Amino acid sequence: MEPKPRLLAILDIVTTALFVVAVGMVFFYAPTEAVMGQVQRVFYFHVSAGWVGMLSFLTAAVAGIIYLRTGRRHWDIIGLSAVEIGIAFIFVNIVTGSIWARPIWNTWWTWDPRLTTATIMELIYAAYLMLRQGIEEPERRARFGAVYAILGFVSVPLTFMSARLFRTIHPVVIGTNQPGAEGSFDMTPKMLQTFMFSLLTFTFIFIDLLWHRVRLGRLADRVEEIKLKVTV
Amino acid sequence: MMLLQQAPPDTTGYMIAGYVVIFGVMMLYLVSIAVRRRNLERDMEVLKELDKKDS
Amino acid sequence: MKEDIQFAERTPYGISNLFHGTRPFLRALVAIIWKDLAAELRSRELLSAMLVFALLVILIFNFALELDAGARATVTAGVLWVTFAFAGTLGLNRSLAMEKDRGCLDGLLLAPVDRSAIYFGKAIGNLIFMLIVEIIVLPVYSVLYNTNLFHPGLLLVILLGSLGYVAVGTLLSTMAVQTRTRDVLLPILLFPLAIPVLIAAVKSSTGFLQGVEMVEIRPWLNLLLVYDVIFTTVAFMVFDYVVEE
Repeated sequence: MEPKPRLLAILDIVTTALFVVAVGMVFFYAPTEAVMGQVQRVFYFHVSAGWVGMLSFLTAAVAGIIYLRTGRRHWDIIGLSAVEIGIAFIFVNIVTGSIWARPIWNTWWTWDPRLTTATIMELIYAAYLMLRQGIEEPERRARFGAVYAILGFVSVPLTFMSARLFRTIHPVVIGTNQPGAEGSFDMTPKMLQTFMFSLLTFTFIFIDLLWHRVRLGRLADRVEEIKLKVTV
Repeated sequence: MMLLQQAPPDTTGYMIAGYVVIFGVMMLYLVSIAVRRRNLERDMEVLKELDKKDS
Repeated sequence: MKEDIQFAERTPYGISNLFHGTRPFLRALVAIIWKDLAAELRSRELLSAMLVFALLVILIFNFALELDAGARATVTAGVLWVTFAFAGTLGLNRSLAMEKDRGCLDGLLLAPVDRSAIYFGKAIGNLIFMLIVEIIVLPVYSVLYNTNLFHPGLLLVILLGSLGYVAVGTLLSTMAVQTRTRDVLLPILLFPLAIPVLIAAVKSSTGFLQGVEMVEIRPWLNLLLVYDVIFTTVAFMVFDYVVEE
């Protein structure tokens, strides 16, 4: 069992502290938005979760490239960990996006290009896991995972562009001529600060979770090794 | 003129729902990592015993 | 001619490589394409399966959507592309499955040929099959629904769309065929990645069919082109990693 590195312990503390402050800022520091009311507070973590999703995707793709070039198992674990985290946070992003939409546009879903792209990303992540589940040999599993992570990542900007182009032609929320129809609102300085701080906090959360999850993956590998040794 | 400003709508319920999801999912993920870790560590113990017995 | 080749063999890099690299590559490429086409000509398994499937899908749409003439105009492109996507998946699956089952894949890999020749060979073969199915479906649809689908713009979109679809699909089916879950996995892997193609293809098809201004169709065509270039390049670059044994 790898002992927990000192740096990780420090990171845990820092991340937790940041999170507490961020929550405080969201509920007590940021003002209430005039048009949307309290539900707008969801926005800070909604976008931050989406941000973590993007980081995860990027990490998985880069880890994939490095794995293909070096063949080192470590990078496969990083890729898988990143995808797992991505699934969780994009899920948050999608659901909070839906919850935010409901009171404002009286619909549970808008085909907003960002939300649409997030949903497709989630599906790509799920497909990644299903691909891995269908392969027995760890080496091939890692290789195919890496390839799919790269392809998935490359597709995201294209998907976003097509969703956006589609949307400019089909204003989706019918009968809405509110200026806030894109979910935009003017951010006061306090809101902006809260927003930026949330992004920072969630970046730390991503790194912290990734590290923990990678350690878990390495532990799993070691268990597998001994398992093979003992059962042979 | 101040009288013309309406109070913002009460969307607190939705905010709570949103944060339940955020905290809930994050918590769930953390717990999942912790549980998996514990299971693996337990497996490790058992396997180490078996390994010792063999050698 | 022989002297040219011998001369090229003696020059360093540059021309020699080009000469050396290209001819065996092209030969392998053509061989692979020809092998698939010839096999298909004899058995016609793949094409008949794809064709029957495509026609059935169109039939189902007819009953599922209950289209009157007006609704049909807006929905035709969508119906066509869903049909093509599903039939395409069928073709991709079977093309690689036959390869693997007959052990041809291993044979190809043993040959001293650049792996990318295999990728391009299979991709072009898949493209040809998909285009054949599409070329047959178009007149059938035209007749069944009394609409003229033979618009040159539409044909261009079908070419570009199928190209992108097959570029990604060939790579993914090569992976899928090596897993336990095989056939089921390909659509799951392919559809999320192919969404830009499908959206762009449907929108530009509709544009051409409804006589929309070129200036509105152009962004969709550009998207298709960009997708095709990007994904063909990426697929070709990673293909090696997908066929290692």
